[in-house]
Amino acid sequence: MFRYESLEDCPLDEDEDAFQGLGEEDEEIDQFNDDTFGSGAVDDDWQEAHERLAELEEKLPVTVNEQTGNGERDEIDLLGDHEENLAERLSKMVIENELEDPAIMRAVQTRPVLQSQPGSLNSSIWDGSEVLRRIRGPLLAQEMPAVSVLEYALPQRPPQGPEDDRDLSERALPRRSTSPIIGSPPVRAVPIGTPPKQMAVPSFNQQILCPKPVHVRPPMPPRYPAPYGERMSPNQLCNVPNSSLLGHPFPPSVPPVLSPLQRAQLLGGAQLQPGRMSPSQFARVPGFVGSPLAAMNPKLLQGRVGQMLPPAPGFRAFFSAPPPATPPPPQQHPPGPGPHLQNLRSQAPMFRPDTTHLHPQHRRLLHQRQQQNRNQHRNLNGAGDRGSHRSSHQDHLRKDPYANLMLQREKDWVSKIQMMQLQSTDPYLDDFYYQNYFEKLEKLSAAEEVQGDGPKKERTKLITPQVAKLEHAYKPVQFEGSLGKLTVSSVNNPRKMIDAVVTSRSEDDETKEKQVRDKRRKTLVIIEKTYSLLLDVEDYERRYLLSLEEERPALMDERKHKICSMYENLRGKLPGQERTSDDHFVQIMCIRKGKRMVARILPFLPTEQAVDVVLTTVRNLPFLIKKDAQDEVLPCLLSPFSLLLYHLPSVTVTGLLQQLMNLPQSAAAPAPSNPHLAAVLQNKFGLSLLLLVLSRGEDLQSSDHAAESTENSQWAEVMFMATRELLRIPQAALAKPVSTPTNLVSLFSRYVDRQKLNLLETKLQLVQGIR
Amino acid sequence: MNYMPGTASLIEDIDKKHLVLLRDGRTLIGFLRSIDQFANLVLHQTVERIHVGKKYGDIPRGIFVVRGENVVLLGEIDLEKESDTPLQQVSIEEILEEQRVEQQAKLEAEKLKVQALKDRGLSIPRADTLDEY
Repeated sequence: MFRYESLEDCPLDEDEDAFQGLGEEDEEIDQFNDDTFGSGAVDDDWQEAHERLAELEEKLPVTVNEQTGNGERDEIDLLGDHEENLAERLSKMVIENELEDPAIMRAVQTRPVLQSQPGSLNSSIWDGSEVLRRIRGPLLAQEMPAVSVLEYALPQRPPQGPEDDRDLSERALPRRSTSPIIGSPPVRAVPIGTPPKQMAVPSFNQQILCPKPVHVRPPMPPRYPAPYGERMSPNQLCNVPNSSLLGHPFPPSVPPVLSPLQRAQLLGGAQLQPGRMSPSQFARVPGFVGSPLAAMNPKLLQGRVGQMLPPAPGFRAFFSAPPPATPPPPQQHPPGPGPHLQNLRSQAPMFRPDTTHLHPQHRRLLHQRQQQNRNQHRNLNGAGDRGSHRSSHQDHLRKDPYANLMLQREKDWVSKIQMMQLQSTDPYLDDFYYQNYFEKLEKLSAAEEVQGDGPKKERTKLITPQVAKLEHAYKPVQFEGSLGKLTVSSVNNPRKMIDAVVTSRSEDDETKEKQVRDKRRKTLVIIEKTYSLLLDVEDYERRYLLSLEEERPALMDERKHKICSMYENLRGKLPGQERTSDDHFVQIMCIRKGKRMVARILPFLPTEQAVDVVLTTVRNLPFLIKKDAQDEVLPCLLSPFSLLLYHLPSVTVTGLLQQLMNLPQSAAAPAPSNPHLAAVLQNKFGLSLLLLVLSRGEDLQSSDHAAESTENSQWAEVMFMATRELLRIPQAALAKPVSTPTNLVSLFSRYVDRQKLNLLETKLQLVQGIR
Repeated sequence: MNYMPGTASLIEDIDKKHLVLLRDGRTLIGFLRSIDQFANLVLHQTVERIHVGKKYGDIPRGIFVVRGENVVLLGEIDLEKESDTPLQQVSIEEILEEQRVEQQAKLEAEKLKVQALKDRGLSIPRADTLDEY
């Protein structure tokens, strides 16, 4: 900005000293600095430099052998000390395994020398170290500009020999180059998302509620597939704290994986799956566990030998160290590794008793299917060559050169992920239909077993897996040494974003339709609430079985309370008032779901309340019948009604009959017509109910002769009226009842004479033959 | 080896010949080599099979990596029963020709239908061509 024509123009006369200082600085500048002023500053193309080297290489084949023997460093000084001495630099350079920078290789490749390399192009890329070795000779002799490229050469993989029989997937990924100058991202040994090649020791994190597949280590293949008697589930195994493994130092000297033989020896024949090691790459990355597993395995296995279970089949059981020995894992442990799970089959009692993962029925089904398949295959080939098909199939697999591209551990890794997805804190909540279906199957098979005397199948107890519901107290993020707290809204810590004020509209503004609609909506809401209560009540039996003794009374109380609430919901509890209207109930019954719900609730209600419900239904039956015309769901009520009927005393039945037929209170005044009854008779439900009631009455009469005479007479009275009504109503189209009780003829015969009896029979089609 | 008995898992299908139906309607037949948790598939020696009427033609495709979400269904092919089918294999050119003819016929029919509806004053909204569910 300020340009001075000469130093004299400078206004800072006072600072002559400063100027002198500058001059001194000038003198101090190293005029002999090669990099700045000398040959180093020459803009020499490093590629040309390499070419020069290549020429030298040809001239100095001898030096190659000398150099190969030189010390090999595994590590390269990535920071790249820029030393003046090229020789020192070169001697520090990584030799063997570290030259994989594609940039280098490309350059190296341009030389004709490289084409003499054995193998394909591929190998030349990875064989840079040999080239480099050859380079070093001439480089030492000759000064070169700073070849920063070579400075961050990376470890090189060992040169590939002929690879015909090699498993291609065994090849490790090349190490990524890092540039200290440019600042490349930290070397991740394995790209995110690759399946691990080898297993790391799982650093167990108890709070594995959301396992990340990246960190999942596939278990070792079970060398001895065992029957599916496994009590353990991977899920529950996850949860057992594993700090004994965590606290263990990681001696890198231990070989990562025990051979099956070794393992077998350790286990003494018991079948175990020691956890597997991390991929070799992981082992090198700090923060990931190394190869401590093998060291720990003997410990664990020895500790466990006494507790071995019969081996489980290809079920990858997840396990962890014995729970009693483990305090919760230390927090310092790197959270990165996440849900590392070891596989060790262990005894069920060590873990929570009510846990498992899959139903044993599954195993049976699968076995059956497999058996069938095998049989089919056998049958296909006839008796003569039973095994030939299977063997030919296996031959096919054997001859398939591409078989097993997916390694066993990769398969295990995938199945492990799938198993983790089955983890559940409440299997009945998450997998209701699954659980119920297999429970039913089991009951069926149990029933069958009881009946038949076939060989007893082995009863495998179902143990439901339950991952512990760990309650996390959410603590908002805090930073050390910062003032105040961050106010961040997250899923655990939601923050109110909108101030929504609830305003209720006044009734006057609404039109009639709106009111009706609102009322219907309210009814729907009530139905939903009551349905939830119902489901809970239905579930109590199961909970009861699972609960402990102390909890049971509380459960029962809860249940009772819920039943009461249900009833109140049904009947419409009015604050401080007697229930005077059936309206609420009728509204519920107009909706299909309401009817089904009432049918389900009825068995739970105490008798009084149930009778009340029935009576209300019956009272309003014609209306309900009309409303039910489309749904035709009323017959679902028959079953609970009939069940109830059998518990009712005569009085109630009498009353019920009266209501049902809309009979007048006194026999003296006959009603002109009885559309109520007509409607009832024309409806399937109505007619069936009527017949049931009649039948029940008859049963009561015939069975209990010593009954109160008042009851009897009441019944008789009602029956007279009933028969009169029945005779009176025109023979309209009668509905077809669900079932016709057999004792009706005898019932009617008591109250009417022969002629009328015949009439009744024909009218009501009571005699079987007429149908 | 029993992997997770009772669950739907592809692990036991590995290295077997499969027929895979994709969402875009293609039928691939190949050896299932590898899977992952999303049911992404690696098919080896894959052949795309085009069916037209009673004829079919195979186009060799090599290695396929199929993203799991694009699979409609897949099933193992019984190597023994594979050969006895009433279908007749034809050359690729022929089957492509047949396919083209079939597509054309369909288009014609569609056009006629649309025209007929238009004449009567009706119209059917065209389905989104991207998602053909």
